[in-house]
Amino acid sequence: MGFNAPGAAAQGPIVGLGRFGAFAFSVLSALVTGQWSPRETLRQASTLTARCFLPVNVTIFPFGAVMGLQGMRILDLFSAHHLVSSLLAQFIVQELGPVLAAVLVAAQGGSSFAAELGTMRIKDEIDATEVMAVDPIGWHVAPRILAMALVVPLLTIIANTLGLAGGWTVAVGIYDQPHGVFMAHLVEIIGLYDLSCSALKGLFFGVLVGAIATYRGFTARGGAEGVGRAVNDTVVLSVVLILVFNYLLSSLLYGGVS
Amino acid sequence: MIEAFTVFLQRVGAYGLFFVDCVRSSWRHGVRWDRVLEQAERLGVRAFPVLAIMAIFVGTNLAIQGFGAFRSLGAQHLVGMFVALAGVREVCPLLAGTMVAAKGGTEMTAQLAVMRTKEQIDALEVMAVDPRAELVTPSLLAILIVLPALTIIGIALSIFSALIVAVVQLHVDVGQFVAFCFDYIEVRDLVAALVKSLAFGAIIATVSGYFGFFSERGPAGVGRATNRAVVVMCIVCVCINFILSAVFYG
Repeated sequence: MGFNAPGAAAQGPIVGLGRFGAFAFSVLSALVTGQWSPRETLRQASTLTARCFLPVNVTIFPFGAVMGLQGMRILDLFSAHHLVSSLLAQFIVQELGPVLAAVLVAAQGGSSFAAELGTMRIKDEIDATEVMAVDPIGWHVAPRILAMALVVPLLTIIANTLGLAGGWTVAVGIYDQPHGVFMAHLVEIIGLYDLSCSALKGLFFGVLVGAIATYRGFTARGGAEGVGRAVNDTVVLSVVLILVFNYLLSSLLYGGVS
Repeated sequence: MIEAFTVFLQRVGAYGLFFVDCVRSSWRHGVRWDRVLEQAERLGVRAFPVLAIMAIFVGTNLAIQGFGAFRSLGAQHLVGMFVALAGVREVCPLLAGTMVAAKGGTEMTAQLAVMRTKEQIDALEVMAVDPRAELVTPSLLAILIVLPALTIIGIALSIFSALIVAVVQLHVDVGQFVAFCFDYIEVRDLVAALVKSLAFGAIIATVSGYFGFFSERGPAGVGRATNRAVVVMCIVCVCINFILSAVFYG
């Protein structure tokens, strides 16, 4: 039974995991031996940014505003309005920024990566690349994963900023909290450690989404319907795994247990 | 810039007309309840496992973050209150909405766009069957039934998983968690969650229907329609969420 046996996806999860392992290994070896295209990586990164920049920012801004609104009300119980920016900062930087950026990148960029690679596979373009002695992993797959690893952390940082801006709009703009109080409590709770953890989460999620999307697209089969299934699987699997790993990473990075 | 804005306004207007047409045509031709049930099964039952996993892991993180946030105030026993308020008011309605949008909504867009490409929608029209009443309205009603149910299940699961994490991992007292959790959930919060999920449902069904119904022909058009539909649904849901939160809690 070869690597490309038909119906491979239908065989149990363990076989699937093994195949994914083999795929990941071939990507890693292409990266280590330098057989990947930097130019293609930058091209993918720029289309990915163009696709995802607006959705991420337009979504996180109202989300930050809602959190400002609810945070105000929850902190009302302690008459501790002034702490709203600490609450916001903690939630947005530690959880929401990376997760929302990654989920939207999965929905926008991941799905399109899976669709592109799946279509190439269906139309035998990947085999054609191989015939021309160009490694499809190094040319099609590795650049896309690297692009994800590059773009998602950057989008996370921008999303953090805009989410906080959304909270600022509510707290300072609507509830008339002094700007200085907001900023003081913000910088008190968020340090370089939190920001780098946030970007680290983004990096991890980016690699995750990239690996899932390219794997599903690369191994798609069964015509146009198969491509559709690969796209759908990519989005669902990415979102679920992002949340699962988010729990593990949060437990790891922010202690959880005191 | 002004041109882009005009195009945007035209699209919004076309969407509004589409919405009205859907309601009016099913008013006139009657509702296909068999198709409503079929769609409810497709949207609800199939989305359920994924939603369950997501709700569980959102609950775990609410517990961890709530614990961290209130520890700095020396009030970590309030984590139950935090989980309840954040989960019921904001996170679970939005989670169920985006989940159904990403899975059921895109499927619906893709299906309609393929039918448009294959001229099946035109064929329905030729046979004097109103394609909106036949294809879009059943999904709309199905989502309105399914999404509130999914939201309530999501709330229950996320609070349960938060309870487990708080007690086992963070060593919060079970009684305290449960007491603070149920002390702070009011009927108003549950009503707000249901109203939100109904609003998201209406948005998801009609936006995905609109993008599928008016997609460009051909495979590329199908792909573009689904992609745009997801993004628009997510953005509109988050914005509506802000407005509804401001109305209920502002």
